[in-house]
Amino acid sequence: MSKIVILGAGISGHVAASHLRRKLSKNHKVVVVSPNSNYQWIPSNIWVGIGRMKSEKILFPLAPLYKKKGIGFKQAKAISFFPEGDKHEHKPYVLSEFVVGDKKGQQEKVTYDYLINATGPKLNFEGTEGLIPGKNKAYSVCTYTHADHAWEALNALIQDMKKGKKAKILIGTGHAKSTCQGAAFEYILNVEHELHRHNVRDMAEITWIANEYKLGDFGMDGMLLSYGSMTMKSNELVEMIFEDRGIKWITGAAVNKIEEGIAHYENLDGEYKTESYDFAMLIPSFSGHGFKAYDKNENDITEKLFKGFMIVDADYTQKPYEEWSVKDWPETYQNPNYKNIFAPGIAFAPPHSISKPRISKNGTDITPAPPRTGMPSGITAKLVAENIIDSIKNGKESLHNKGSMGNMGAACIASAGFGIMKGSGVSITTFPIVPDYEKYPKTQGRHLGKTFGDIGLAGHWLKLALHYAFIYKAKMRPFWWLIPE
Amino acid sequence: MTERISGYQRFKMTNPIIQFFKFIYLSIKIMFIVAGGHGGTRKAV
Repeated sequence: MSKIVILGAGISGHVAASHLRRKLSKNHKVVVVSPNSNYQWIPSNIWVGIGRMKSEKILFPLAPLYKKKGIGFKQAKAISFFPEGDKHEHKPYVLSEFVVGDKKGQQEKVTYDYLINATGPKLNFEGTEGLIPGKNKAYSVCTYTHADHAWEALNALIQDMKKGKKAKILIGTGHAKSTCQGAAFEYILNVEHELHRHNVRDMAEITWIANEYKLGDFGMDGMLLSYGSMTMKSNELVEMIFEDRGIKWITGAAVNKIEEGIAHYENLDGEYKTESYDFAMLIPSFSGHGFKAYDKNENDITEKLFKGFMIVDADYTQKPYEEWSVKDWPETYQNPNYKNIFAPGIAFAPPHSISKPRISKNGTDITPAPPRTGMPSGITAKLVAENIIDSIKNGKESLHNKGSMGNMGAACIASAGFGIMKGSGVSITTFPIVPDYEKYPKTQGRHLGKTFGDIGLAGHWLKLALHYAFIYKAKMRPFWWLIPE
Repeated sequence: MTERISGYQRFKMTNPIIQFFKFIYLSIKIMFIVAGGHGGTRKAV
């Protein structure tokens, strides 16, 4: 009998738990430890943030599903890792603290044979002074509660605009190292679309602010893509969309302080500037959770497990951008020091950024962090689950399933406006996510046939179809496993 | 605001009949790209 513990019940943790439960007999225990009571389909938060979808539509409670499927569930948060056990407990364990119910505040040693760390990121709002969701007129759509608050504020502003108020809207990234530009990109296009619907578009000045060097970087160093019969760069595609929508942009901006209606930022020229706004949605930086790890004698061994995020089979050697290789990226997401610990999704420490690092004249590193959200999270979680299943069934370590982001495709179906007949979407796929300059030297590291962009109503339908398909899959309804990650 | 997308392009982007076929095409194409497999890089030729 093996016991697999999964920390986190987001896209990555839930995918891993559901595949493990499906393929392992009931002799083996699958236990999820998460402080959250609900599963949420995060990509649809942007529609909650414009009031076109209720947050109840993007979430469901985990406990009843897990009970029905035979997955153990502890609504608790991980505190620290003991991968060798301790003097009293010979099995490895994670010290966890319950967050609700009669056991609230109590700690438990959750022992395991295999551990999947799918804790995702900490939303590091404190990394930017004054960036607090719902304060200083700045909002977030990173969670459904944040998105609800964002819509309340945006709706109030729309009502003011209907009465004649001119408004400034600022959307983008709120830190020099933020990632998830895609979510902000979707949100700005949806907000612009909604202002048209409310007949107040001409009352608003909309500005994009981001840490990306050029538009369309998306933390992936931009991309060369097919668009219809043309080949264009992603910055040209996004410039075309923004100009057509009348959206201004500020790039290479490290937002470092938020005051009531004012964003302070530094640009790559080393200039310190401000941008005023009436409503802002800024994505924070992501960070690790600051977990500690101890050996059986309770000596601190945090550096064996964590480097901010969790250390996996990546090449973390410090080297200049010119020497970066697609081979630096992990393939199995296994911790090299403790082979029964894995970290798929956002929980693994990337070897470096994907975008070329850029330093301002004042020495500030203004580089988007690499994205690992959504599809890569699901794919890496599934391959980790499959390796664990194979290892249990074969009785020896099996790492046959590999999935480097340098050999994996991803689709970014970006909503550009909600509406069954009036909606729009920007569909972008990229293969691979991390450019492979050895394989594709003439097309900026990407397979041109598999890296394309498209704009139109079909993109909105696709995003909506994915919303329903992935919630169906997450609820583990019949034949859910046929839907790919 | 600069009109970067021509009227004809905009018509194609918003016409539900054209977009229905585009939806089918994109669904299949995206499925091939993202579900078409993944692997390692270190032993790749």
